[in-house]
Amino acid sequence: MKLLEYEAKEIFSKYGIPVPKGVFIRAPEEITAHLPDIGDAVVLKAQVDVGGRGKAGGVLFAEGAEAAGTARELFSREIRGVPVRGILAEEKLSIEHEYYVSIAVDRSSRQPVILFADAGGVDIESAALADGSAVRRAVVSPLLREIPAFLMRYLLGGAPKELAPTINRLYHVFREKDAMLAEINPLVTTPEGVYAADAKLIIDDNALARQGIAVNRDLSEREREAEKHGFSYVELDGSIGVIGNGAGLTMSTLDLIEYYQGRAANFLDVGGGADQERVMHAVRLVASMPGVNVIVVNLLGGITRCDEVAKGIIAADVSPTIVVRMAGTNEEEGRQLLAERGYRMLESMDAAIRAALEVSA
Amino acid sequence: MIYGDKDLGVIVQNITGRQGRFHTELMNDYAREVGGRGVIAGAAPGKGGQEVYGVPVYNTVREALREHDAAASVIFVPAMAAADAIMEAAHAGIELAVVITEHIPVHDTMKAIAYAKLHDCTVIGPNSPGLLSPGECKLGIMPAHLATRGGVGVISRSGTLTYEVVDELTRAGIGQSTVVGIGGDPVVGQTFVDVLARFEDDPRTEAVVIIGEVGGNLEEEGVRSTDLPVVAYVAGVSAPPEKRMGHAGAIIEGGEGDARSKARRISALGVPVASRPSEIPGLIRGVL
Repeated sequence: MKLLEYEAKEIFSKYGIPVPKGVFIRAPEEITAHLPDIGDAVVLKAQVDVGGRGKAGGVLFAEGAEAAGTARELFSREIRGVPVRGILAEEKLSIEHEYYVSIAVDRSSRQPVILFADAGGVDIESAALADGSAVRRAVVSPLLREIPAFLMRYLLGGAPKELAPTINRLYHVFREKDAMLAEINPLVTTPEGVYAADAKLIIDDNALARQGIAVNRDLSEREREAEKHGFSYVELDGSIGVIGNGAGLTMSTLDLIEYYQGRAANFLDVGGGADQERVMHAVRLVASMPGVNVIVVNLLGGITRCDEVAKGIIAADVSPTIVVRMAGTNEEEGRQLLAERGYRMLESMDAAIRAALEVSA
Repeated sequence: MIYGDKDLGVIVQNITGRQGRFHTELMNDYAREVGGRGVIAGAAPGKGGQEVYGVPVYNTVREALREHDAAASVIFVPAMAAADAIMEAAHAGIELAVVITEHIPVHDTMKAIAYAKLHDCTVIGPNSPGLLSPGECKLGIMPAHLATRGGVGVISRSGTLTYEVVDELTRAGIGQSTVVGIGGDPVVGQTFVDVLARFEDDPRTEAVVIIGEVGGNLEEEGVRSTDLPVVAYVAGVSAPPEKRMGHAGAIIEGGEGDARSKARRISALGVPVASRPSEIPGLIRGVL
């Protein structure tokens, strides 16, 4: 889960990473009481989970008394379609130089990987692509608690040594907070010292519970329902409903719909051991999506009981047409149950999807 | 046969759990069918002295290995204790740990894999359906009846999609040497590169099917690393960016890892890429 900048900065600050003086506000007038602490030159940053926030008008500057008015202006905006519900108001830093540092999980080496660049700022990603030598990269053994000094020297190159403690503390955050990504862009030097001017922190979804982080996503009613049953569920914009077991097979089912020039309405992975109850809930959930007139059920696996699946489909009793492809144990019983109720069961993924497209057209 | 054959002795960690129990029986059904050793012992803390389908249970891996000659462990331990189970196995002398568990925090996985490496223990998974060498051995949860013995290796990040492809191959009369589910997590012990290196040393394997999906670029890395004839399939061409498609590792992040560009890059290396699973047998015939 991606944290908002102010949440990430609260964590960074606890780990000793210097962040600008600031306050998180939910209404424009809240800022006035905090101006004596922050100072007269204020940066107002919309707290929205949107890339390219600055370019999209999500960052404004203000002086003293005008801050509340500027905040009101920012609260009234939508940043790439996302309404502004909170603002981080911070002191404006006197930046001397900008750097970039990030720590991520490297799939290839199975270790944390640190990237450091002498130039930070909004276009670092494209700069890194254009000139690989501008970015230095080092992997660290996950068994180490600190970044070894020789790696730190390599990463910094000619950059000031005073950045090292901050980078090492970012590594502590990365390790101890179960981060998939911990990034400071830009990391800046000022006459007053080093600061994390921005902050990005993505926490491993599988570690949220032990990190005590409540999931604060805005879920739709159907998404909440899916979560309750433990389904992996993503809504798309087509009209063909999809239920599969296993992430790969379900993705492949969506791809095949696209291959035959149809459009899938959703991704729904019922998971292992799809029994009558789970299948019924999955079918009802997908059938409740507006515009869905046909549902492809594609279940495969050694332990899937086809008679259970058939009973689940029948029990769901929904209006969209259901096309079934399944393989597993008790296939014959399943086929017979479905046939008695007029459901179509097909032999292959391709055949099932072609049949669904005929209905949908 | 790249990770073991009929003679491979296997233990199961958390053999007394629902999944561990169920799949111990299926693994040993298969071992009986092919005349292999199968699961010869189990480990579960506090459950020492029990039996699961005739297989003796010990409190620790170390105790199990004191009484039995096993080189591999299949791990069904719950997510928050699974990394510890991997390290316990490696420390006790297990050479191959197959981790079925899903939802292990990535930092735990990174540490456990690094620790296992110090003890020369190979880790497959986590979030893996395991591996199957038809006619030799089965470690994990793959449905064995879909597979048939032959010369094509299969490497996949997925479970059920692997069964789909194996089923297609078998129906087309193309047998498999070994089917390896490397796991759907962002960090896994054996990547495409590692498994392909084993296939290169395997006299039975003539060609390999790589089944990838959105997220990362390890499929391409694998294709670049091998001289074997390869056919690829990448699931998720219709996946929207920044949405996790079921697997923890199946996410397009920062514009990286989308299936279409991945397929394009693999194709540019001269490897045929199937646009749907049913095309795979035909493409394999073309490279054999």
